[in-house]
Amino acid sequence: MPIEFKKNRVLFRDEASVEEAEGLLEWLQTRPTAKVDLSACSHMHTANLQVLMTARACIASWPKSAELRAWLEPALKSAK
Amino acid sequence: MIRSPMNPSPPNPLPPNPLLDQFLSESRDLLEATGKKLMQLEDAPTDQGILNELFRCVHTLKGNSGLFTFPEMTRVLHAGEDLLGVVRSGHQVYSRELADRLLDAMDYVGLLCGEIEATGRIDASRALESQHIAEALRKLMPSLTPNEDTAAVQNGDSPTAAITQTALADGTATGLPQLAGIPEDAWRSAVEHCRQGDPLHWIAYRPQRECFFHGDDPLNSARQTPGLIWGRVLATAPLPSLSELDTYSCLLGFDLLTNAPREELDQHYRYLPDQVEIVAVPALWLAKQKDERNGPGDASSLPNLTHSRSENDEAAFRRILAAQRQILLFDDRPAWHAGRLTAVAAVLANLSQAMGETSARTDIQAALADALSTGHNTLLLAWLDACLASYKNVQPEASLPCAPDTDGRIPTTQAEEPGGAGLAAENDPGKVPADEGIKFGRRADDDPNAIKFGRRAEDSNTGPRSLKVDQAKVDRLMNLIGELVVSKNALPYLAERAESQFGVRELSREIKGQYSIINRIADEMQDAIMQVRMMAVSFVFQRFPRLVRDVSRKLGKQVQLVLEGEQTEADKNIVESLADPLIHIVRNSLDHGLETPEVRLAAGKPAIGRLTIRAAQEADRVVIEIVDDGKGIDPAVIKQKAYEKGIIDEATLERIGDQEAINLIFAAGLSTAAVVSDLSGRGVGMDVVRSAVEKINGAVAIESKVGKGTSIRISLPLSMAVTQVMVIESDGQRFGVPMDHVVETVRVPRNAIHTIKQSQTAVLRGRIVPLKALNTLLGIPAIPRSNSDDELAVLLVQAGNAELGLLVDGFQETMGVIQKPFNGFLSGLSTYSGSALMGDGSVLMILNIREMV
Repeated sequence: MPIEFKKNRVLFRDEASVEEAEGLLEWLQTRPTAKVDLSACSHMHTANLQVLMTARACIASWPKSAELRAWLEPALKSAK
Repeated sequence: MIRSPMNPSPPNPLPPNPLLDQFLSESRDLLEATGKKLMQLEDAPTDQGILNELFRCVHTLKGNSGLFTFPEMTRVLHAGEDLLGVVRSGHQVYSRELADRLLDAMDYVGLLCGEIEATGRIDASRALESQHIAEALRKLMPSLTPNEDTAAVQNGDSPTAAITQTALADGTATGLPQLAGIPEDAWRSAVEHCRQGDPLHWIAYRPQRECFFHGDDPLNSARQTPGLIWGRVLATAPLPSLSELDTYSCLLGFDLLTNAPREELDQHYRYLPDQVEIVAVPALWLAKQKDERNGPGDASSLPNLTHSRSENDEAAFRRILAAQRQILLFDDRPAWHAGRLTAVAAVLANLSQAMGETSARTDIQAALADALSTGHNTLLLAWLDACLASYKNVQPEASLPCAPDTDGRIPTTQAEEPGGAGLAAENDPGKVPADEGIKFGRRADDDPNAIKFGRRAEDSNTGPRSLKVDQAKVDRLMNLIGELVVSKNALPYLAERAESQFGVRELSREIKGQYSIINRIADEMQDAIMQVRMMAVSFVFQRFPRLVRDVSRKLGKQVQLVLEGEQTEADKNIVESLADPLIHIVRNSLDHGLETPEVRLAAGKPAIGRLTIRAAQEADRVVIEIVDDGKGIDPAVIKQKAYEKGIIDEATLERIGDQEAINLIFAAGLSTAAVVSDLSGRGVGMDVVRSAVEKINGAVAIESKVGKGTSIRISLPLSMAVTQVMVIESDGQRFGVPMDHVVETVRVPRNAIHTIKQSQTAVLRGRIVPLKALNTLLGIPAIPRSNSDDELAVLLVQAGNAELGLLVDGFQETMGVIQKPFNGFLSGLSTYSGSALMGDGSVLMILNIREMV
């Protein structure tokens, strides 16, 4: 699974597709304090990004890819 | 095996794709049907049957185009389909304007088809064009009805449209971008690229809300943007609370800064041209923004350029303006004067754009339009002077970066660096306002002829009962039957040998009996194959209603087109080669022949001109007449023109009669039009017509009465496949002469031949006819033989109006042969028009009489 849900932490791996977004949203709705680990993420579909932005999720670690991080960090920080 | 002499397979750069070929050929048919139905509908706007068929055509076209990656085509067709859907449901009344737009759109699709056929793909630059056309079509739809889904999306009521509107309104998605928000390192990089001369582009990418359903991943598209320097994600609408979020509705947008050239960006976003806005970032703007960044003040406010112009810039602008002014002051009026004005206007527009005064563009356009129509550039000059003055005086308030057009169309302006503007603007097709491409300037009014075609619509209802066969297959059949005819003709020789050589009379008779049966079957077969190749001339005629409609509208004339004998058939090649000459003639008639309604009324004629195109079969020829009741051709004018152009000398000018004078219009380089228009008047019309007709062994004649009209008559062979030739003999060799050229065969006593200077002549039926020996013409060192009464065989031939007596040794039978043109080395031999196989296996050379006369 590109997205792995732990107790209060969600891990993104490789590419998260549009299908994951619904599950992510449901999961985040019940865990307002959840932390997001993007370190292994290489790409996420816009839908996932949108969910993370709306949830104002707390990002525990940013993607290793500097390029992806440059996209995500301002977006997720400004949403906060 | 006789090979097909011509193998017309155009060089195809791509591996053949049968599906694509089929798509293109089907699209052509569908487009044609669509065009026809659109015009029919003009006369019967409420005919539900035609509407349904029309809708089906466009729908099929759209569906087919979706099989391939031609989003541009699909987009236009989709818009057309939606529009027709609204018409069909009765929410919109079919109008002339609608027809014009739809016809234009279909023309555009045809253009795309041509492009696909030629290059195998659609150029990325078409994306924007197609977008404009689709938008223009959608604008014709009435405000939406709640249950029309497709219409709703496009009518400003959909969430997407709403976002785009707000985005446009608050200035985030339009005009020159605010670069204030971008981080320092990206900034430096941009400046660096700019210094290296890379084009910088700002892209505002606002995905549609439902884009996820289309399989789009906007973030991915944004990340993949070529030449990306910097980008950011932003919410295009306030994000809802987590519990209200719809995962499948895209609320994000992207701002991107890239250094990729425009074409590459267009290519990358070719599927979503309606969702991105690409704006060129001028270097100057970048620099000014830099000041803005460093200086105090609100970073989000729109920058005020004028106040921060440097001294150097000022001087450069003034120099450019002064140069343009100089150009405007030239008082010569070369042919390219219009182009010069356009170039000046483009430079000015770009200049003002670079200065941030984008609103000036409309003023310049207006001034240019005025200058082009009146021929005086006072308005342009006035604008320029005002502009110059404003730089000298107090700096005017900067106008805001361009606001969206009132209709919400995304501006397609491009800015150039001021220094390069003069050069770059000279030749930039992108400067043409986008909507010019959409309306080709056609207006609708009456076309009383469309009723004529009512019949054909019903015909097509019978369903496709015909087969589509590749022409190459029919050509092969044609070649095979040719071989059969040749081999069949060997049988009589065989019968003769059986009798004379082997003395079996019985067998000889049987062979002859069998021969007559085979002969009959072969003849019928040949006839049947010819029938396959036969095409109704309606193939050519069907494009005339549209042509006449468009051209007459353009010229402000009222023309009634009458087509007669459309069902007349002729060989495919003949019909096809007829198209161009006919179009020339029809255009000529419309342009020079028929008068404007006022002139006609003044001359006591009905206001509506009449153009008749008539086809009929006469014996083994097809005759096509193009008759108009216009002003006719004045022989005196033609004579004078021909004399002025040096086509005839003074003596001829005095001598020739009216009919001969009128025939002069077939001479090369003669134009009677006083002004060269885009329709005709370049003097390359009628001589091209004549040579095209003569190439297929046709003849063209003209009759004209001043004030009454002109009639042009083209006579063509039914088929090029079988040529009737007369076989003649000279120095023991046999030659064929096409019967079309043979006038008569006579025997002339040697003493009746007179020599005038170097040439031999004889008096035949009271006319002096020049005589030439065929042997001499062909370089055969033999003199013509006479018969026992010392008479020489003379074959009187004719080509055009010239006659010639050919001295030959003897005449043989006439026969139908299948003439093969020469290829390879032999094709250079103009003395012969081709060769044919005789029944006994020998080759008959066919003489090209035109070359000899």
